[in-house]
Amino acid sequence: MNKETNEFDVIIIGGGITGAGTARDCAMRGLRVLLLERFDYTNGATGRNHGLLHSGARYAVTDKESATECIEENMILRRVARHCVDETDGLFITLPEDDLGYQKTFVDACRAAGIRADIIDPAEARLLEPSVNPTLIGAVRIPDASIDPFRLTMANLVDAQLHGAVALNYHEVTDLVIENGRVLGVKATDLHTGQQKEFRAAVTINACGIWGMLIARKAGITINMFPAKGALLIFGHRVNQMVINRCRKPANADILVPDDTVCVIGTTSDRVPIETVDDMRVADEEVNILLTEGEKLAPALASTRILRAYAGVRPLVASDDDPSGRSISRGIVCLDHESRDGMAGFITITGGKMMTYRLMAQEATDLACRKLNVNKACATATTPLPGSEENSVSQQEPRSFAVKAAQGRHGTMADKIDADTPLDRALVCECEGVSVGEIRYASQQLHVHNLMNLRRRTRTGMGTCQGKLCACRAANLLGKYNHDAKLAQADLAKFLGERWKGVKPIAWGSALREAQLTATVYQRLCGLDKAVARKEGEQ
Amino acid sequence: MKFDTIIIGGGLSGLTCGIALSQKGQRVAIVAGGQNSLHFNAGSMELLGNVDGEEIAHPVEAAQRLQPNHPYRKVGIDHLEELAQEAKTLLDKAGLTMSGNAKENHWRITPIGVTKPAWLTLEGLATVASSQLPWKAVTLVELEGFIDSPLQFVETNLAAQGVQVKVARIAPAVLTQARRSASEMRATSLAKILRNHQALASLAAEINQVTTADELVLMPMFLGLDDDALAALQAQVKPRLAFLPTLPPMVPGVRIATALQHYFKMLGGTYLLGDKVVDGLIEDNTMRHITTAKLQDVLLKADNFVLATGSFMSGGVVADFTRIYEPVFGLDVEAPANRADWTLAEVMDDQPYMSCGVATDDTLHALKEGKAVKNLFAIGSVLSGHNAAVQGDGEGVDMLTALAVAHRITNRQ
Repeated sequence: MNKETNEFDVIIIGGGITGAGTARDCAMRGLRVLLLERFDYTNGATGRNHGLLHSGARYAVTDKESATECIEENMILRRVARHCVDETDGLFITLPEDDLGYQKTFVDACRAAGIRADIIDPAEARLLEPSVNPTLIGAVRIPDASIDPFRLTMANLVDAQLHGAVALNYHEVTDLVIENGRVLGVKATDLHTGQQKEFRAAVTINACGIWGMLIARKAGITINMFPAKGALLIFGHRVNQMVINRCRKPANADILVPDDTVCVIGTTSDRVPIETVDDMRVADEEVNILLTEGEKLAPALASTRILRAYAGVRPLVASDDDPSGRSISRGIVCLDHESRDGMAGFITITGGKMMTYRLMAQEATDLACRKLNVNKACATATTPLPGSEENSVSQQEPRSFAVKAAQGRHGTMADKIDADTPLDRALVCECEGVSVGEIRYASQQLHVHNLMNLRRRTRTGMGTCQGKLCACRAANLLGKYNHDAKLAQADLAKFLGERWKGVKPIAWGSALREAQLTATVYQRLCGLDKAVARKEGEQ
Repeated sequence: MKFDTIIIGGGLSGLTCGIALSQKGQRVAIVAGGQNSLHFNAGSMELLGNVDGEEIAHPVEAAQRLQPNHPYRKVGIDHLEELAQEAKTLLDKAGLTMSGNAKENHWRITPIGVTKPAWLTLEGLATVASSQLPWKAVTLVELEGFIDSPLQFVETNLAAQGVQVKVARIAPAVLTQARRSASEMRATSLAKILRNHQALASLAAEINQVTTADELVLMPMFLGLDDDALAALQAQVKPRLAFLPTLPPMVPGVRIATALQHYFKMLGGTYLLGDKVVDGLIEDNTMRHITTAKLQDVLLKADNFVLATGSFMSGGVVADFTRIYEPVFGLDVEAPANRADWTLAEVMDDQPYMSCGVATDDTLHALKEGKAVKNLFAIGSVLSGHNAAVQGDGEGVDMLTALAVAHRITNRQ
């Protein structure tokens, strides 16, 4: 695809999992695709959730439609995105304070939705998952799993690009181009250069999650969305091997998910004003709730180091005045604005969940294809994502921890990472085993402009040291690859600021200790504050 | 077991105090956990580098403007210069030749190429007389595969000061062994290889190939852990060398820690490495004895005790969900009561938690339940009242409070 062209069949706004999945589906059906993301891919709700491959059990009692969608997609993703999935299975536990009678309701609902649900003895649950609260009085085993949203999104984007799509991050859509009741394209600003650009397409798909309501407003269209903030805590190591849920009606902090080297407890659910969704901060009260409830799932959490707190915003479509947002359907909302609002060439795909992104993409793409008179079937349910092809594990003998770790992260795509020279093999992030070669690969192939991008693509700085030393090493390398050390240095300071935002709500114990060590290295030792202040002063 | 003084904590302040007391003939034991914050030292000592956001050229003079609860106030601002001279002499006797004085700061070059005010700097490391670099042109040595010296940043920060920077790449075969393992390419590991004279000679040969005699060559300090490798390398190369500290693990910091430990032991001091104080008996405002994890059955007694356990990162003070406390003896701390007040929104702000620490009276006696413990002093980073990352006074507080307490202990005898 010629990157210079401004003409496409479809423009997708939003680089979360829905946008990435839609870009892939559209590209696989032969459409000329452009995807625009304002900041980094996965910056919204995609990058700020549990990383849970729902079985659907959580919704079985209250929302059968969502539950059925979940289990179907669950089984599909295990096949097509196997390098992103960790098949852990999950437990729904009943604690003494819970109603054991709910268990039967739950199991019946699961089975009705097609979700395998096996009641097991509490003793067996303790054997299967030693970290589980030993006082449990009931347990149900269900096919939950853990999924890496960053990896999943990038795999979709990589495949979209292999099928000719163009994807641009740091491109903010400033306006829709509208003539005679039809969206003809978008105006966008390249946030790195400030350049204004205009792109045209017969169909524009709004896949911006909660921000989608703001994009729709640009076409004079109202979508009543419900920004529901969910706060989560990441712990310093993987306390549990299986997903642990509370067997009760969905409530605060009742899911603990093992993700890669760590585990995540969440979430809370609170309605927030749309104006605040760009700067979500976790409040002390939310931390208290997460800890108090989390310890009930796995008592070891009480003595486990907390790495950071974060929050995302669910893009729920409002249907009633429910103050908590929990009874709202997690169902998919695919809006054809031509029939709904008289605005041709414009589609919004929202609602849903990360779990059902593929189905959301399919619905949006089906609609776009109808508008474009393209008659080609969706193949995303059966075509593996790059990295998850058959023989997913590389035939090449892993030479080191870093090579193995990279294979875990990139699946078969790890073969593209150079490991030939000593420099390529040098370890940048020791916690996660990220080599210089992997960082170069990410910076050249995976749209990495800064440390935050790099963290999401490679896990650099996600481990227990939280980027204490590797952030500086990695920033220096990015400065080299992007030929702008000054920018990379400013980015390093920004990255530390961003990390601090997640540490501040949990700044006690080891987190505070580590924060002081980080301040010692970057402020006291290196004088990064002075370097950045001077740079700002110069401008 | 009975000592004259037992010091808890084997970092810069504990070692300084231990050495000063041993020099006076005291029988001293230091209980040291293991690695300490000296391992994060870039080879410079800071006395006072910043007051109210302004870089300081004359630290002793500027100390007059310090906040009322700053530890220097308890040492006596009038005594700073004298104590600083004593500290320098002590370092010198330990085999650490350092340049600088307390009246006038010089500027060190940080691992990312920024200038920061310093009081003393190890011989061999690059220093300049003021914040503004006097150099027209320098050559940076880049060692292939070594990523703990962020030379892109050094280059851009030097260039921002108008310095012309040339990068000279070397890949000496002698370091191939280290490069084979990704995690061995650290400054301290390389320094161990370069203890070998032949290895050093081949490094010198590589440097000579890419530089000329008229250049000033800045080189990451991955040698000179505990030997004279810096001088030996200089003798074998054509250009003038100035060394840059790397990211941790840092050779100069380890060099200082090792030299001070050796000197303390040479003076007859007992260094209980890898041990931890678990308990102590305080009665009638007097510390009677302590016990350690490894010597559970032995009561360690002394006339005086010194707490030099460092700040949060060393475990000298601990924060939990509800409070900040001193974990060994439950001493009084100065810290905001509410967790929300421990931190500020921006990471580089003057974070309140950084100034939290053990409370003392005017003569550095630790307080417990509001009363001074007569024979228990607190020194160094465990003290409240200053932020070393912002004020540039970390090593000064460590060494000068240590020496002040050593004087008080020996004068009392």
